[in-house]
Amino acid sequence: MQLLNAQTLARLSGVKLRARAVMEGVLSGLHKSPHQGQSVEFSEHKEYAPGDELRHLDWKAFGKFDKFYIKRFEHETNLRAVMLIDASASMGYSSGGLSKLEVAKVLAGTLAYLLVRQQDAAGLAVTHGSSCSDLPPRSAAGHLTTLLETLEGLSPQGTTDLAAAADHLAEKVTRRSLLCVFSDLFDDRPDGLRRLLQLRARKNDLAVFHLVDPSELSFPFDDPTLFLSMEDERRLEVNPREIKQSYLEELGAFLAESRKACAEADVDYELVRTDEPLDSVLLRFLARRQGRRR
Amino acid sequence: MTFANPWLLLGASAALVPLLVHLFDRRRPRPHPFGAISFVLRSQRRTASRLKLKRLILYCLRTLILLALPVALARPEWRREVGASASARGPAATSIVLDSSLSMRWSDGKSLFLRGREEAREALRDLLPEEPANVVLCGPLVSPPPPPTSDRAQLRAQLDEAEPSYGPSDLVRCMELGARSLEESPLPSKRLVVISDFTQGSLRLEAPPPTVAGPKGERIRPEVVLRDAARGEQALPNRAVVDLKVEPALQVGPRAFQFTFTVRNFSSEPVKDLEASLKVEGQVVAKGFLDISGGGTAQKSLTHRFDSGGLFTGEVSISADALAEDDRRAFVLNAPKELRALVVNGSPSTVRYRDEAFFVEAALTAPGSPLHAAVRDVDSAFREDFSSYQVVLLLNVPAPTKEQSERLGEYVRQGGSLFLSMGDNVAPETYNQRLGAVLPRRLRDVKTSVDPSELDAAARAAKLANFSSEHPVFTPFTGRAREGLMSSRFYRYVLLEAEAVQKGEIGAVLATLEDGAPAVAVAARGRGRVMLFTSTVDRDWGDFAIRTSFLPLMQRFCAFLAGSLDEREEHRPRVGETLSLRLPKEPEVERVASPSGGEVPLSSEPDGPVQVGPIAEPGVHTAFDSSGRPLAAFAAVLDPSESDLTRIRREELTQHFGEDTVRTAGGQGAERKAPFWTWLIVAAAAAFLLEGVLLRR
Repeated sequence: MQLLNAQTLARLSGVKLRARAVMEGVLSGLHKSPHQGQSVEFSEHKEYAPGDELRHLDWKAFGKFDKFYIKRFEHETNLRAVMLIDASASMGYSSGGLSKLEVAKVLAGTLAYLLVRQQDAAGLAVTHGSSCSDLPPRSAAGHLTTLLETLEGLSPQGTTDLAAAADHLAEKVTRRSLLCVFSDLFDDRPDGLRRLLQLRARKNDLAVFHLVDPSELSFPFDDPTLFLSMEDERRLEVNPREIKQSYLEELGAFLAESRKACAEADVDYELVRTDEPLDSVLLRFLARRQGRRR
Repeated sequence: MTFANPWLLLGASAALVPLLVHLFDRRRPRPHPFGAISFVLRSQRRTASRLKLKRLILYCLRTLILLALPVALARPEWRREVGASASARGPAATSIVLDSSLSMRWSDGKSLFLRGREEAREALRDLLPEEPANVVLCGPLVSPPPPPTSDRAQLRAQLDEAEPSYGPSDLVRCMELGARSLEESPLPSKRLVVISDFTQGSLRLEAPPPTVAGPKGERIRPEVVLRDAARGEQALPNRAVVDLKVEPALQVGPRAFQFTFTVRNFSSEPVKDLEASLKVEGQVVAKGFLDISGGGTAQKSLTHRFDSGGLFTGEVSISADALAEDDRRAFVLNAPKELRALVVNGSPSTVRYRDEAFFVEAALTAPGSPLHAAVRDVDSAFREDFSSYQVVLLLNVPAPTKEQSERLGEYVRQGGSLFLSMGDNVAPETYNQRLGAVLPRRLRDVKTSVDPSELDAAARAAKLANFSSEHPVFTPFTGRAREGLMSSRFYRYVLLEAEAVQKGEIGAVLATLEDGAPAVAVAARGRGRVMLFTSTVDRDWGDFAIRTSFLPLMQRFCAFLAGSLDEREEHRPRVGETLSLRLPKEPEVERVASPSGGEVPLSSEPDGPVQVGPIAEPGVHTAFDSSGRPLAAFAAVLDPSESDLTRIRREELTQHFGEDTVRTAGGQGAERKAPFWTWLIVAAAAAFLLEGVLLRR
């Protein structure tokens, strides 16, 4: 599988990924820093007024115009982004095309590529059940290769434990970062998503990519079916036609609840069907973030 | 319950299929790992109870479908206990009694009789091949049916030829005849199928149900199946002309008549503005409207004046309803011809009220009288041509001469009529000599009961003791009119001998006085009639002339003598009856034609009346002589009891026959009750639809 297909990258090349909030960074980049004056990027001239720092006085301008002008600079920072991949067994479900995990890997890899390309730092966190592994954010080109190889090696296993992933990220991400969560959110624990959204309270920027298979959305089964759980031993023999209406109501309520929880926590929420074009998913996401920044 | 195709019940075992499928269906469902299984589990928990109920309903519906269809195809039929026992006894000899009374002509587009005939055909079809049957057509005249036969074609032909009658029927009698005919069948089981509208007049519930002789001679009740030709209709609305009176309307004219007819509404709904009309000789001559309350009666009078005398036929009618036959009533009417009477005044007087002819002239020329009186003194009278008068009245006339007497005798023998009243000018012996050939009886003496000048003359005067109320002259004198006539006082009168003057028929005494002396005697002489009144017709010998009965009685004396009272005799036989028709011996009645042109049976005894009938149709019947000349006519009327279409309640029938044997109509039509098996098919179809709906939900 080619994670970063040329077509997708070509359509995303004109897009500037900008963080919504001002973040601390060491390296200058495309992202605006709240600390003016530390960058070498000239911004504008301002007529001197008492109190201004004399070290910013533009002597060349004084020589030309015989007036004092203060030079002002717009300092740029680096963005730190961490891609949290839910690699539980339910993410391996596929009704024909890409599985949810595969889609998550493509989306996370593409975003990491874009970030590193504009010299931002991209990291990776993977959750399998209660255990988590991570790759710290870096902006080096070599790091991107490592990150992509790690993504390539992921396989679905274990249960979904969003609370454990949230705890892990809270411990590891000490600086303000963009956290992109790729998951189907099928966590039987009632507070999993809520714990994850609490990371927003720690000044992190959070985006949730909710991955859903088309069959999970439409429940297109007719014949009596023995449904097997992908994460545990649960199983159920049922006539799908008899419960279809009820299932769709339950799932609709879950999706609505997830969207509402994200909105209340000021978190970007993107419902991703695994059969829709991924470039359009990313374009929609980036366009929304750019719009929010303005 | 019985089944027409019992072997098809084997198909009902298909009802076990859903159960077997439920028990043994072990198809392995396709396993499918699914990420969102939590939602599947939650949905299943949420819908589990509803699905359980749905599955149970589906199971029941499928079982119902698979059970109902084969049972319906087997064509089940509910049969009462009676039927069940009858069928258990084997084939039964059957008598089909079909009511053909007038009420069966009631029609709402299709007459009850046609429906009844269909019922009879169906009853015939329902019989087993080994069951013999006969048909009893139950009308006003019913004859014992032949023994039951297996010749179905003959029975069907008999039904095809059957027609409803115009008279009443007696179902009890018909059932008895049918039951008796069944006794001739060797089959032990007997059955009576009675097809009627079951109106109040058709069945006498006070009579016991029919019985047949059992194997040991004991009386047993046959199976009775009642088929309702009215197909359960609660009420059969009807109104009818139930009575008609035709009376002279003297206030309108001498030949005016008032037709008063009674209309009864047998339904509970009131009728407004019901049109009534009077037809004479096919022409509507008067119309009117009447309102009748529900279940009530109303009278209407229509008047018509005839321009000339003679025999007229006609009918009164109301707007036709479902039973049109009783909405009209025919009549035959003799409008009086003008009679010329010659009044011979034997004691004229210049004082009018003392004139012998004063009261007679006043009576004969009163308004409405058909008589035209010519008053003459004795000399003038005997110069008249008697043949131009129908009646000659000799009032206190001295005995005519021999020549005059011969003229009078010849006049009477040729058909003229003579009326004689007594008085002081009458000499009995001379009368006997001159007019002995025509007098009803010999005159004897003049008797004085009391001198009118005496104080208590009124109390001691002779009065009428008796009169022949059946004679046409005296028939109207009943009640108060009779009292008025009987209170007339006679101070003097002529006694009569007990024999005729000469060889001949002795005159009949129509009225007698208290001492037994005749007051009125009458005799036929040749082709004429002679009447003798033994007192005076003025106030000389009594006060009869000033009594109210004097006027009508004098008019009737003259009408009788002229023969027009005989013509006024009305015959109104009912359909089904036999009429005794008194007609002159010459010419003899050859035939009597019914309104439809058919001939009515005739029988006659020597010197007796002609027996006409039984009459089968309502309307005007005409008697003809051998040359085709009409001799007499009469109007037959319907029995009003047949117009009452109040139905006997099913409970009453059940109570009467002891068991619930009433079967509703089995013919075709919208009112026919759907058989049980059709409901099974409907139930199966409904279950099929419901199952489809449930499966889609």
